[in-house]
Amino acid sequence: MFLHRLTKHVALGAALVASPNAGVSTAQAQLKVVTSTTDLYDIAKAVGGDKITATHIGEGYQDPHFVEAKPSFVLQLRNADVWAFVGLDLEIGWMPLLLQGARNPKLQPGQPGYVDASRVIAVLDGARGNVDRSQGDVHPLGNPHYWLDPENGRRIAKLFQDTFAKLDPKNATMYDANAKAFTQRLDAAERTWQPDLAKIKGQPVVAWHTSWRYFAEYTGMNIVGFMEPKPGVPPSPAHLAGLIQTMKQAGAKVIVMEPFYDKKTADFVASKTGAKVLVLSPSVGGTKGLNDYIQLMTSGIQQLAAAL
Amino acid sequence: MSRTSAHDARASGIPAMLWGAFVILAVASWPASAQRDTTKKKTPSDSARIADSIAVVRELERIRAEPRAHDPGQQQPPPGAPSNPRMLPDISAVGDLIGDLSPKGSTQEGGERFSVREVEVALQAAVDPYFRGDVFFGVSDLEKISIEQAYLTATSLPWGLEVRLGRYLMPVGKQNTTHRHDLHTVDYPYALQRFLGDEGLKGTGIYASKIFAPFGFYQEIIVTAVDRFGEPTPGLVTIDPVNKQLSGLGYSARLRNYWDLSQASNIELSFSGITGKREQPVLGGDPTLGTPARQSVVGTDFTYRWRPLQQGLYKSFILQAELLQQLNEQDPTLELPDGVSPDGLLYGGPTRNFTGGYAFARYQLTRRGYLGARFDSFQDEGANGSATNAVSGYLEFFPSEFSKLMVGYERYSPAEGSATNRILLQATFALGPHKPHPF
Repeated sequence: MFLHRLTKHVALGAALVASPNAGVSTAQAQLKVVTSTTDLYDIAKAVGGDKITATHIGEGYQDPHFVEAKPSFVLQLRNADVWAFVGLDLEIGWMPLLLQGARNPKLQPGQPGYVDASRVIAVLDGARGNVDRSQGDVHPLGNPHYWLDPENGRRIAKLFQDTFAKLDPKNATMYDANAKAFTQRLDAAERTWQPDLAKIKGQPVVAWHTSWRYFAEYTGMNIVGFMEPKPGVPPSPAHLAGLIQTMKQAGAKVIVMEPFYDKKTADFVASKTGAKVLVLSPSVGGTKGLNDYIQLMTSGIQQLAAAL
Repeated sequence: MSRTSAHDARASGIPAMLWGAFVILAVASWPASAQRDTTKKKTPSDSARIADSIAVVRELERIRAEPRAHDPGQQQPPPGAPSNPRMLPDISAVGDLIGDLSPKGSTQEGGERFSVREVEVALQAAVDPYFRGDVFFGVSDLEKISIEQAYLTATSLPWGLEVRLGRYLMPVGKQNTTHRHDLHTVDYPYALQRFLGDEGLKGTGIYASKIFAPFGFYQEIIVTAVDRFGEPTPGLVTIDPVNKQLSGLGYSARLRNYWDLSQASNIELSFSGITGKREQPVLGGDPTLGTPARQSVVGTDFTYRWRPLQQGLYKSFILQAELLQQLNEQDPTLELPDGVSPDGLLYGGPTRNFTGGYAFARYQLTRRGYLGARFDSFQDEGANGSATNAVSGYLEFFPSEFSKLMVGYERYSPAEGSATNRILLQATFALGPHKPHPF
C-alpha cells in the first residue's frame, strides 16, 4: 500500500516536472510571444490581442544589428511559444546566442514557434553574383529593413495570424478578426498619407544607412546617396566630400538618419549643403509618442513631407 | 550595310551584344524616323506597325525602369527558399597575428618578433534534430594542428538542460570561456595562465548546464567531468595515469548569477571550481619521475557592463575582475614504480596554496576605438609565493566587426628580478559567416 502511494506520488511529481505547463488554467494559457524588434511586437499584439503575452528584445531607439545577448533575454525566450524575428541576418550578431541559451525546443528552426518574418516579404537588394565583406556589412539574403513599407506590415500581420491560429486554433477566429482590423486601420491611415506622399515622390534625399530602402520604395523618395560609404561602415572624410558634391548636384534637401547614429556628422554635411537633418525613428518606440506601427509610418511620412 | 560588309563585321568579331544593342537602338529609333518621313503616306497597316513599335519601346523602357528585384536576370530566391540548400556547415577562420617590440627582446614563447600566433578554423552546423556540432582546429607554428574544441551539443533535452560531449573551454572563471583571440588583451590574465594554462583550460568529457531563475534573476549551474585537469606536465611520468581512478578525473562546477541593473547596465557575479589530479615531480631520484597529487582551483568573477542603448554604437564600459585560488595537496603519498625505494625521495610539487587575480576595465572612446587597462597580481610558485604584478594598457581599433588592431604596453614586475617592459601588437581577422558578438 505504501509502495503504491509512493509510486503514485513519484509519478505525479515526475509528470509535473516533465510538463512545465501542467496545471496552468485556460485563463492563463496565452501564447507567449517574444519578438526581436518593437515593430514585430506591435503587430503581434495587434493580431494576438489579449490571447497572447508579448515582449520584445530590442528597443526602437537601438540599432537592431547590435543588441547584446544578455542572459535576461534568455529567460524571456526560455518559456516562449513563439520567437518572431526580422531575419535576413539582421539579428545574426545576437540571436544565435539567445536561442542556444534558451534551450527551448519550440523555438528551433522548423518549429511553428520559429517565425522568420522575412519569408513572407518580397525582399529588396538581394546580393547578386559574388558577395564578400569588401562590400561592407552586406546582408547577402537581402535588405532586412522591410517593415517600413506598409504592404510588408500587412504581410507580417497575416503571418502572425496564421502562426497564432496554428498554435492556438481555438482562438483562430479572433486572430483573423484582429488581423483584418489591423489591415483596415492601416488602409485608412494610408488614405490620409496620400497628400504627403505626393510631396515626397521623386524628392532627392540622403540616408545614413540602407534601412530606408523600403520606405523609399513606398514613398517614392529618391535616395541619391548614403552617409555610409558601404553598409555598416562609418563615413570617411573622402566619402563625405563626395557626398556633399552629390547632394549639391542632386538638390537633396534632407538627410534622413536614425536616432542611434552620430548626428554631428550629419550636421556637418548639412552645414555644407544647406540640407536639413531629419532624425526619423525606424522602429516603434524610437522616439516618444511612436507607440504603434501605424503611428510610426504616419510620423515618418509626415515629418519627411514637412522637411522637403 | 551590304551582305559582304555585314559578313566582314561578324568576321571581325563584333560581339553579339553589340548586335543586340544595334537591334534595340534600331527599334527604339523607329518611331522618330517614322515621324520624320513626312513624304510617305501612311497606310492603316503602317499606323498599326508604328503603334506596335511604340508599344515595344514603351515595354523596353518599362522593363529598364523596373526595380532590380523584378528583373528576370536578378531573381531573388522565392520567400522561404533555403539559404543553404546543400547543408554545408559554417566554415570560418580566425587569424591571430602578434608583434612583440619589447625593448629587451621578444617575450613570446618562440622568441619571435612577428608571428602568426594561431589560426583557428571552425566548422559548425546542426548534426541532426538532436545535436549540434562544433569543431575548432588550432594551427600554429609551435603546436602544428591541434583539436582546440570539438563538441556535440544536445539541443532537444527536456527541462532546459544542455549537455555537451567532447572537448571545450572549461567553464572555470570568466575569461577562460573566451577564445584568446577574442580577448581585449593580448594574453589571458597571468593568474589564469598560471593556474589554468597559458592558452586557457580545456577539457574533454561531459558538460551539463541548467538555467533557472527561482529568485527572479538569471542563474545557471554548469558541471563538467573531464578526462583530466589540465594538460599533462611535460617531462613527468607517473606509474599510473592520474585519471586511473575516477577520483583522478577533472570535475568542475560554475554558478552564474546575472542581474540587469537597468536597460543600460548589468552585473554578473559567478563562482567556479575545478579539482583533479595532476602530475607533480618527485625529488631525489629519476628527474622524470612524477606522482599524482590533487590540485583544485576555486574562484569568483565579477563583471559590470554599461552600454546605453541609443548611443550603444559609440559608448560602452566594462569592468571585470577575477580572484582565483589554487589549492594544492601538500603531502601526497608518493606512488612509485615497483622496486623504487621511497628512501631519499621527496615530494617536489607545490606545498602551499597560491592566490591570484586581475582587474580589467575597458572604455569605448569612439565607434571603433577602445581604451583598456589591466592589473594582474599572483603569488608566484617559483618565488615561494611572493607576488608578481603586472600593469598594462591597450588601445583597440576595430575597422569592422571582422578585424581588430591592438597595441599594448605592459610593465611586468616579477617577484624576483627586475621589471620588464613589453610592447605588443596584435591584429586579428575573421573570415566566414558572421558570428554572434560575445557577451
